[in-house]
Amino acid sequence: MTIRILLVDDHPIVRQGLKTILEGHVDWEIVGEASDGAEAVAKAQQLHPDVMVLDVTMPTMNGLEACRLLRRQLPHLEILFVTQHDSPQMMREALDAGARGYVVKSNAARDLLEGVEAVSQHRIFTAMNGKNVV
Amino acid sequence: MKLRILLADDHEIVRRGLRALLEKHEGWEVCGEASDGREAIEKALQLKPDVVIVDIGMPSLNGLDATRQLLQHDPQFKIIVLTITDSDQVIREALDAGARGFVLKSDAARDLVSAVEALQNRRMFFTPRVNDLVLAGFLEKGQTPSRDQAPKLPTLTAREREITQLLAEGNSSKEVASLLNLSTKTVETHRSNIMRKLSFHSIRDLVVYAIKNNLIQIEMPSGPKSPTGPTAA
Repeated sequence: MTIRILLVDDHPIVRQGLKTILEGHVDWEIVGEASDGAEAVAKAQQLHPDVMVLDVTMPTMNGLEACRLLRRQLPHLEILFVTQHDSPQMMREALDAGARGYVVKSNAARDLLEGVEAVSQHRIFTAMNGKNVV
Repeated sequence: MKLRILLADDHEIVRRGLRALLEKHEGWEVCGEASDGREAIEKALQLKPDVVIVDIGMPSLNGLDATRQLLQHDPQFKIIVLTITDSDQVIREALDAGARGFVLKSDAARDLVSAVEALQNRRMFFTPRVNDLVLAGFLEKGQTPSRDQAPKLPTLTAREREITQLLAEGNSSKEVASLLNLSTKTVETHRSNIMRKLSFHSIRDLVVYAIKNNLIQIEMPSGPKSPTGPTAA
């Protein structure tokens, strides 16, 4: 199944790294990129992706705020956080904000594909310390 | 012949991004990767790359100490440090360590290719802030800026810095001994010397010292109320 993905992280080099992983999946398409929460909201409204891969800590508008906004505006969009915060509190906050998935950046090379696949099928995916906790 | 580059960063996702960026450049290849400073030294000595790119904030052995140690092995190594901050202190330490390139991680997509090209052509590459700081040093009648006015801290040897990082990361003396192929007694002696030199009485003092001196880096507070602001990738 084709999955259209919007990639959001303020570090271009991290976006590039995430792209190399996602592009390994032939059916998936990265339809756009954004470097902060405000740009993410604008591009999501314009491009209508299936999945947004979203960083938490970003300038202008952080990922949690963007997630809350998009949850209301685009209820069909599934959001997967990919973040450096290996913290149960942050994970809880991300899910409360309306995300469907949560992957820790240091494990992204292993967990990202599974995470995108899961949330695209509207399943919850949360992986901390490399373990799926839900 | 291809230019061979060794990449050292503790985040696989960042290494992938850097590799993709560098390998777009015709004639360059990433000949190896390392996820901490110790592995970077091991691989550099084994692979003899033309350029080594090291992240400063890495576990076990940080990028600055890895740079110092590599250049002790062979002063011909050309090393670019990647950093999340270009504070005066980090700039000075990178220059002191002997790095020939200094690139902010947030600007790596723009600057890293230029930095590698500079080193390839036997030049150096620094961010504008580094240039400003160096220039300020010249303008102050050739004095190194503010260093001379800074209070002198006791100097640790390379081995003592290495042990300080490992202790501050939470390793016991026995674990440090095992990591460095030393006897526990030798590590205990170094530990006593470090504590005496710095007039410290607890491991907590050592941890604070290690953070202040960029031997280890702490993550952003991970509480739910503070997800904004600049961060490590």
